Amino acid sequence: MRAQYNAAATIDAILNPHNSQWQAIKSSVVALESTPIAMQPTPAIRESWSTKTAGNIGNVSVQAVVNQDLLAIRLQWNAPNQMVDHGDNTVFPDSAAIAFPLAENAPVVMGAPDMPVSMWFWRANENGEARQIEAAGIGTSETRNRNLVKSHGAWKDGKWSVVMARALQVPNESQSPQFKLGSTAQIALAVWDGGNTERGGIKAYSGMQWLELILTEGNS
Amino acid sequence: MTSKRQMSMVMDLNKCIGCHTCTVACKTLWTREEGKEYMLWNTVNTMPGMGTPKNWENMGGGFKDGKAQLGKLPSRQEFGDAWEYNHKDVFYGGKGDKTHLQIEGETPTWGPNWDEDEGAGVFPNSYFFYLPRICNHCTNPACVAACPRKAIEKREEDGIVVINEDRCRGYRFCMEACPYKKIYFNMEKGVSQKCIFCFPRLEQGVSNACARQCPGRVRFVGYRDDQNAPIWKLVEKYKVAIPLHPERGTQPNVFYIPPIGPASFDADGDIDEQTPRIPDEYLISLFGPKVLDALDVLKAEREKTKRGEKSELMDLLIAYRWNEMFGGFDKNPATIEWA
Repeated sequence: MRAQYNAAATIDAILNPHNSQWQAIKSSVVALESTPIAMQPTPAIRESWSTKTAGNIGNVSVQAVVNQDLLAIRLQWNAPNQMVDHGDNTVFPDSAAIAFPLAENAPVVMGAPDMPVSMWFWRANENGEARQIEAAGIGTSETRNRNLVKSHGAWKDGKWSVVMARALQVPNESQSPQFKLGSTAQIALAVWDGGNTERGGIKAYSGMQWLELILTEGNS
Repeated sequence: MTSKRQMSMVMDLNKCIGCHTCTVACKTLWTREEGKEYMLWNTVNTMPGMGTPKNWENMGGGFKDGKAQLGKLPSRQEFGDAWEYNHKDVFYGGKGDKTHLQIEGETPTWGPNWDEDEGAGVFPNSYFFYLPRICNHCTNPACVAACPRKAIEKREEDGIVVINEDRCRGYRFCMEACPYKKIYFNMEKGVSQKCIFCFPRLEQGVSNACARQCPGRVRFVGYRDDQNAPIWKLVEKYKVAIPLHPERGTQPNVFYIPPIGPASFDADGDIDEQTPRIPDEYLISLFGPKVLDALDVLKAEREKTKRGEKSELMDLLIAYRWNEMFGGFDKNPATIEWA
């Protein structure tokens, strides 16, 4: 996948999922699958979900824009039953996340001790912000920052369009991945179907391999 | 996860009059904030009945073959929700004489105490009793077993089960796993919340609000291993206090003195002492087969008292010295210094 260079893009404008600038950006469709139920952290969840269908969202369309100042990623997926909130205890808000390794060979699924991963996490009931979450193993995720990554999600005609964007470079102490024009970032994607009570480790994800996102430099 | 000691409660169902003072004491103290409107960490329901949340006994959860099970997520409606009233119209604006207090919005079809005093049985042998419930602060908590984030802790010093709201992300696996359906979800904060056994009061030597405020002197509080206090005597020595739904495998630390209930009337309208009004099978379905042994002990001790003999057990249950019900946590609530 390529993040297309767009010198004119600003975070404020590009955050609008329906901004016309997105129309010119090439999109890639990434197939999603359920996270392995055997990897769920507690036996109760493993047993309960062994007979249920998890990872309802089959694929997600991905676009990315980059310039000296920002990296913005738009995810779109079909969600006939939009869930924006917790819905009377029994359903969960729709969510999406983009993961980046913070160490070489960090496992896609929530990292491992000494091999953490960083995530941008959008949840429909927290629209506007995206949590920056870090994990070093299943069940260890912690919210590190709620201001660094901006988000905006909009639901229209049975489809979520969610943009998450961040400055290309951020202060080092933020423990967030740094991006460089011309380099290739590794990413992984996850989407939760809240109406199917998907939350936590129960989700659709892009698989055990990191995907490559080329941050194009200039108008090449 | 073994706790060094375990705080515990015993509730005497023969004394509960269903006044809900416990529920109100708890509500007033802990669940008045936004997001907690529908929460009743303490409930009192009429049994037999559907209870709170509606039909909770059939919502699953607990352990099966040693494995924690995820059951149903109770909805706010099933919990009974928090009804809105037209308080503004009645109490303000000078229209109080023309406006009746009524529920605003849709007419509710369930409430936290919807089937109060209905009970079961056929006249003249109808029967019911009240069942107050809090979190059981289980020795083997299904909520702890289910949580993928290790957000629920069983405190080492007293075995009280608490949710760490900094770790909780509102996934509600705990709500699914708790067989007693005593965990609530706070929509405002996005975290699960539950009875905290009033640990901030205990830490200052004051017993739980529900126990201290109980006009019927139904509730005993204390450490399970304190052999000089009532809990140990009721649970271990006399074995008259037994847990609710022990078959769910969580090993509750809240115990109940089962209700003896009245005798039934026979076809001639005479009292039949041999047939209890509350069927044994029903009590067994709630408390397991040990309930019959507990009832036998209670009846025998009652007979002793009738004969004018001394019964330590009856003296305890009558609670002549009510301050001794609290296992040493008997300081006046007025002494509490809130942080």
